[in-house]
Amino acid sequence: MLKEPLSFLLTVEGERVVDSVLRLGYVHRGLERLCQERNYVQNLHLVERVCGICSHIHTTTYCQGVEALLGLEVPLRALYLRALLCELERIHSHLLWLGVLAENAGFTTIFMYAWRDREIALDIMDELSGGRVAHAVNILGGVRIDVGEASVASSLMRLDELERRIEVFLGVIQHERTFRARTRNVGHLSAEQVRRYCVVGPVARASGADVDVRRDAPYAAYDRLRFKVITSNEGDVWARALVRTLEAVESVHLCRQLLTELPDGPLSVRAPRRVPPGEVVSRGEAPRGELVYYIRSDGSDKPARIKIRTPTLATLITLPDQLRGVNTADVPVVLAGVDLCISCADR
Amino acid sequence: MIDGLSALFALMVFPGFGFLFVCALAFQWIDRWAVARLQGRIGPPWFQPLADFVKLMAKEDTLPTGAHELACAVLPVVSLAAVLTASLYIPVAGRAVSAFEGDLIVVLFLLSIPALTYFLAGWFSVGVYSIIGGNRSLLQYFAYEVPFLMALTSPAILSGSWSISHIAVQQSQTVWMVLVQPLGFLLAVVGLIGKLKRPPFDIPKAKSEVVAGPLTEFSGRKLALWHLTLDIQMVIGIFLVVNVFLGGSSPGTIYPVSSLGAIPAAMAFGAKALVVLLLLSVSSVLYARLRIDQLANIGWRVLAPLALAQILATILIGAG
Repeated sequence: MLKEPLSFLLTVEGERVVDSVLRLGYVHRGLERLCQERNYVQNLHLVERVCGICSHIHTTTYCQGVEALLGLEVPLRALYLRALLCELERIHSHLLWLGVLAENAGFTTIFMYAWRDREIALDIMDELSGGRVAHAVNILGGVRIDVGEASVASSLMRLDELERRIEVFLGVIQHERTFRARTRNVGHLSAEQVRRYCVVGPVARASGADVDVRRDAPYAAYDRLRFKVITSNEGDVWARALVRTLEAVESVHLCRQLLTELPDGPLSVRAPRRVPPGEVVSRGEAPRGELVYYIRSDGSDKPARIKIRTPTLATLITLPDQLRGVNTADVPVVLAGVDLCISCADR
Repeated sequence: MIDGLSALFALMVFPGFGFLFVCALAFQWIDRWAVARLQGRIGPPWFQPLADFVKLMAKEDTLPTGAHELACAVLPVVSLAAVLTASLYIPVAGRAVSAFEGDLIVVLFLLSIPALTYFLAGWFSVGVYSIIGGNRSLLQYFAYEVPFLMALTSPAILSGSWSISHIAVQQSQTVWMVLVQPLGFLLAVVGLIGKLKRPPFDIPKAKSEVVAGPLTEFSGRKLALWHLTLDIQMVIGIFLVVNVFLGGSSPGTIYPVSSLGAIPAAMAFGAKALVVLLLLSVSSVLYARLRIDQLANIGWRVLAPLALAQILATILIGAG
């Protein structure tokens, strides 16, 4: 339902899907190649535009990688602000996804409510960074923005309101009979399939895999924060909805911690233009799962190679399996359940 | 001559085509406004349904290659004709164009023609989504039609007449049917939701699954007529339920309708129609869309047995 180009060739018998063929590449922009022709600072602009919804985690993971190559120590205040925007982005992404899932299941009311409540998260991000979706907060060596007392207070108030509204959606997912009827036992992935396909993110966590880069390989300020990793054992679209919504609640708690425990200090350190030769793998937990950046530098001010492994690419592979034997009516629900971000997958 | 003129007036103006056309647009707007407000939106301006109709009439009329041109041109007209013919026997504010013993059966039969033409529209306008939507619409038809018919038959059995006008008038001398047969009323409304293909039973035209179902390939004037048919079907479906269950135009339970003036009768009838319309609007925002197999399950395992129970209760208790 999100206007992203993806081609599925479905073979159906009556109402049952027999087979499916997936085609990607409609928004392949060759961003990795373009990155090799621009310097590290210009690439910040490119990398942010790999995805619209998870733009901040892309720049965060990229900056972390380059800062590791440069041997920079990013100030703590900047790390907290980076994590803050990451979590706000996660809430925004999960609420957007909930609306898309509801619309695909014919539940237009929840779509309207979720996208209305997502505006609260967008408003917070707008006040903090000046942009609702593209924040341009990260710079090599730290962050560009600062958050004052007034912004902290107003954001905390908005977060309270947001948490109240997300609880409503939790109630719908857990108790509303028609929503459960459409999402239960649809698009089932076993823990074995998740392991075999190397699925990441909420899709993996909904099938029982206990993986979360924020806890397993902490970046930004996550080693100083307290949060739960939400998993479920059901493995169907309903479980994914539950996991994502509970994660959104956890993100609200994380935002509160970040705002109230924000340390004082500088916002950035100066980053040299030339990056010493080396290679680095940087990971982050995007709303859709583990995001991996491999950056190789040759000593100049332009990277020799940037390779981006987005989480959607890992979860997409499971779709033919999920769609086998499913009703045509379940196809949009299954597609929405894996939370595809095609611009991430195509780059 | 005067008979002919008054008949023409009844057919074309009130309570015939002209009135139904205006009602269709008005009801569509009220429904869209109510649904929007419930979803936290504002809703379209009052003239939106009229603007949509006019725009569609002016648009290009195309069909895919391989579609049966004649059938696709005739089907919307047949559908509209069936629905308008059914409207002849449904009293509006106590006044029907015509009435005879047994017109309830004729109306229910005529109102099932649009379901058939809907499927045929999908079949003849060849297209993957059209055919899938058409198949679903037939499955859905069997799921809701049986409970709907049975629910509307119980009041007829209770009042001892098969004429809608008679059933409506009877209720002004006894009680509203909804108080005696609340289950039948609920089943009639649920059946109406299925008939009108409104959420949560909008399975044949599910936007996220089959684009627009059987009407996917239609555009221009044909689509305008289809939408008009579906809107007028909603209007007379609501009028039917109001007449059979809510006492037509009588404002109270024991109040002879013949001693009512025309304006109070119209207001009472309009208010009841509005209540049923808002019931339909509210029910359309509360649920996710069902799958066709889930609907068939509910239709045959829950609705039909309940409707059967209602009829049996009516026969046993009513006869006693």
